[in-house]
Amino acid sequence: MKAENKKEEGAKTGRTRKFKVYREDPTDGKGGEYQEFDVQVEEGMVVLDAITYISQRVDPTLAVRWNCKAARCGSCSAEINGVPRLMCKTRVDTIDGTITVGPMRAFPLVKDLVTDVSSNYEIEKLMPEFKPKEGISSPWRMNEMDVGRSQEFRKCIECFLCQDVCHVVRDHHAAYIGPRHVVKAASLDMHPLDTLDRSEWLTADGGLGYCNVTKCCQDVCPEHIKITDNAIIPEKERSADSLYDPIISLFRRFSKGKADRKQ
Amino acid sequence: MAQKNIAVSRLIPSEFFEPNLRLYSFIFLIAAASIALYLFPVGEFKGYIDPFYSPTILVLPLVGLYRLTCYAYRKDYNRHVFKHPVACPVYTRMDGPQRSYTGETSSLFKVENLHRYFLYSAIAILPFFYYDLVLSLMYSGGIILRIGSIVLAVNAVLITLYVFSCHSLRSLIGGRKDCFSCMANASGRKKFYDVQSGLNAHHEQIAWASLVFIVFTDLYMRALSAGIPLDHVIFHILKL
Ligand code: SF4
Ligand code: SF4
Ligand code: FES
Repeated sequence: MKAENKKEEGAKTGRTRKFKVYREDPTDGKGGEYQEFDVQVEEGMVVLDAITYISQRVDPTLAVRWNCKAARCGSCSAEINGVPRLMCKTRVDTIDGTITVGPMRAFPLVKDLVTDVSSNYEIEKLMPEFKPKEGISSPWRMNEMDVGRSQEFRKCIECFLCQDVCHVVRDHHAAYIGPRHVVKAASLDMHPLDTLDRSEWLTADGGLGYCNVTKCCQDVCPEHIKITDNAIIPEKERSADSLYDPIISLFRRFSKGKADRKQ
Repeated sequence: MAQKNIAVSRLIPSEFFEPNLRLYSFIFLIAAASIALYLFPVGEFKGYIDPFYSPTILVLPLVGLYRLTCYAYRKDYNRHVFKHPVACPVYTRMDGPQRSYTGETSSLFKVENLHRYFLYSAIAILPFFYYDLVLSLMYSGGIILRIGSIVLAVNAVLITLYVFSCHSLRSLIGGRKDCFSCMANASGRKKFYDVQSGLNAHHEQIAWASLVFIVFTDLYMRALSAGIPLDHVIFHILKL
């Protein structure tokens, strides 16, 4: 590969861009480093195009995961110049200078840009399941005004960029399940036919109190789900209802006492 | 040592013990401003009442706690004062596993869960801002519109928007319900919830605008009572 020649040519036409791509194979114990590549860019090219160009034409040992190239499957998540983003949705011409591409650091590395996100599926198994009202006739009927909120959350493509950017998940507490899973809990909780309230579980077992509403998750979500505003804060308010509100808890104790006496 | 740290950080978050210039200046500013407001009150001046003294300076702690436990301000001080994290890009966030972190689980920050009660007090105080506006308009016996009244009006509207875009209010009027159609007057309440949600999406901007404007209003009133001729009469209808 005549990288030097290409660089010269690129400088003239302005169409070659420098990419720094993270390389590491955890099995060889040598640690990792960024490797530079010069890639000829075309109009409208996205970062994933450049990365697949490198892995197909320049260095086939570069590990990268992707599927749809249409921001639908959520598998091409990476950190591009330090910001968690989908490689297939990040246009090269929106970034100035060198483009640095690394894996999501919140997850264990498999190789190069590929990480193991399976911990998320383990968390999902812990979540109290959808529990529909008893005795409702099928097909289930729901009023349109009731389904909007949980529909927003169903846009989630499980890219886990929000988990990656969250400073709690990434740097501080394994005890916090993370924004993606609060979105999931909220989508179940706000479902008109579901009967559970997961807010107490979210706070007691899910570590919701560790989220300090700094909204990085909401900023990076490629589906523009208002994670903090529409899922996390409403769940915090619901858990304030169930755990911290002195008047509500007094009221509950009172009505429970009444129910007990009735029995 | 580690044991003791955990016990302390349950009460007071460990961030308070970090050498953090931003935190020190933040605490200093709040303390200095509170002392100054107490020591240098502005009385009523030509029918104007400074918003910090409406209805009385004694409600200021409630108003302060309302803002301190507000989700918009929480985001801001968690980012810019506690630096957890300052920014989202990973190189510039100034946060990392080396810093200890308890988030909103420490006893001190658990108070944030009582935000709704400060909301109730904020709603109770709201009418006073309009009352003061009306007083300033009727100061001369007739009806008088001065720049100062416009300042008070903008201030009252911004505070109202701030209070009505609150996340706790959003939960109260429908956010905590799973089923809107099951409520009495469903479509009306859903509409109210939607309008409030629209406002709520701008809660952060409104929170800042109203904070800046309260300070501006206070300075304007102080300037007037110090004799700086800023105020002008726009129109004046004498008593018939
Ligand atoms: S708002 Fe909460 S969940 Fe989202 S990134 Fe910040 S701390 Fe994490
Ligand atoms: S909530 Fe958004 S950022 Fe998080 S996993 Fe789903 S689509 Fe990705
Ligand atoms: S390749 Fe499917 S989301 Fe990027």
